[in-house]
Amino acid sequence: MSENWKLHVDAGADNDPVFVGVGEIPTGKFPDRGFIEALTKVAILALKDAEMVPKDIDTILLIPNLHSSTDQADLIFSRMVEELGIHGSCKASYMVHSGGSTSDNAVRTAHGLIATGHAQNVLVLQAERWGSADLNEMITMLSKNGIPGEWELPTGIQFNAIGAMITRRYMHATQSTPEEMASVCVTLRKWANLNDNAMFKNKTLSVEQILASRMVADPLHSYECPPMADGACAFVMTSTGNAKKRGLNTGVRVAGSGGCVSHYCLSQEPDQAVLGWPLAAERAWNQSGWGPEDADIGEIYDSYAAVTASALEGIGIAEKGEGARWFAAGHGDPGGKLPMNTNGGLLSAGHTGVGGGTALLVEGIRQLLHRAPAKRQVEDCQRAIIGGSGGSYMDAQILLLERTGMGG
Amino acid sequence: MKTPKIVSDFRAGLGEGKLLIQSCNSCGKTNMWPRYACPHCQSDDLDWVQSEGKGTLHSFCVLRQGAPEGFEDDLPYALGVVKLDEGPQLLARLTPSGNDDWSEYICDDRVEFVAVDAAEAERRPCATFGRAG
Repeated sequence: MSENWKLHVDAGADNDPVFVGVGEIPTGKFPDRGFIEALTKVAILALKDAEMVPKDIDTILLIPNLHSSTDQADLIFSRMVEELGIHGSCKASYMVHSGGSTSDNAVRTAHGLIATGHAQNVLVLQAERWGSADLNEMITMLSKNGIPGEWELPTGIQFNAIGAMITRRYMHATQSTPEEMASVCVTLRKWANLNDNAMFKNKTLSVEQILASRMVADPLHSYECPPMADGACAFVMTSTGNAKKRGLNTGVRVAGSGGCVSHYCLSQEPDQAVLGWPLAAERAWNQSGWGPEDADIGEIYDSYAAVTASALEGIGIAEKGEGARWFAAGHGDPGGKLPMNTNGGLLSAGHTGVGGGTALLVEGIRQLLHRAPAKRQVEDCQRAIIGGSGGSYMDAQILLLERTGMGG
Repeated sequence: MKTPKIVSDFRAGLGEGKLLIQSCNSCGKTNMWPRYACPHCQSDDLDWVQSEGKGTLHSFCVLRQGAPEGFEDDLPYALGVVKLDEGPQLLARLTPSGNDDWSEYICDDRVEFVAVDAAEAERRPCATFGRAG
């Protein structure tokens, strides 16, 4: 394919959109932490990080939750505008939704709004209460959403079954061993141990522990399944021109993006060991002019190890068939050649529904702004590969982000 | 809402021990899952053909816990994605080769459609496959 899909915005131009702040509160089980309370906290944290106040924000983009349709309605109908006291001045507040890849699409949306002048300062908000929700209700909800009810509901499919099938195919195609698959989770846990906001910040994890944990959906053991968590995070984007006027010296810009929606239901995916990553990556490389060797970190969706392993291969970080063994060799570990999912990822920081991808994105921005705590800040971090996937791994989305100085 | 005809036709086939796949009268291509317009040529002149019921197993899993509501008593059960020789793919239940034992299955196994009785086809209106003998 010789697509040449240029961004219509020049690096460093006044209308070049930049990330200038992030906010996050701890991920885990916090039954007494309210939904609106969490959103408000991360909004204020992100605004402070961006050296802004609520009145500076003209557009709010909401990342959906999966725990409650009532809370969803609060998001859709602009409750956060009122909570932040910007009713009467805020121009627009609306939701973007593509499941686990929502954050990638929210960035594209904000990027377009800012570059074209429809928005000046955009606040993106996410909160989820999966960790405190009724587990059985969530299992049933997840077995009904993103699955064609009339055709597949009668089989009894649910999310771990989907992850298990992808894992089985990936292991078959690459001859990866259970030990090599488990090593992905171990890398993520090492990073979570460096993240005070991670659900498993205090628990270590070994390959032996994973393989000794009970079988949930062959070939997935329970420690290879994502832990449902409460969590919230936020980020702020503005234009380079605005950032300069505000005296901000450092931002993160979007060098390019690529995506591929490869199926709706997993049964229609031609190759579960590949998914949409190769086309998404080709588009992202063409748009940005980068190659995989240019990145300093990766923050790539990891609700199951095989999803990330196949992404690494499609993106070109690992050789074909070597994604899981790339992790087993320690290449994604703290101090490894390409630090991967430096917040601990969904598998160890916690799976906050649609928010798992947002947390990875926020971590990538944080690393590029050099605002991660010293114990996990990657030195001289300039470029990041962000990867997301939604639904039953229906899409592969890649954002290529780079640190940018804005003078001042 | 009344069950759409493409759904009730497919399920009626299962009840008669047949695996039906959608076939387009305009372009001759087959579709699964069945669609309201042919995704190849956009025609709505769509019909059914009976599948030979043979294919390969792209991947599968055995669910041991965390069944959706109403499926608790089925545990453990196995699901797999079958690539039919006619081209289309579908999600199906897999028959055990022993008591709750699916250990003989591997990816790319040859598998074949297994007709179930009408009561089971009504209880679980989905296709069932087993290892080709």
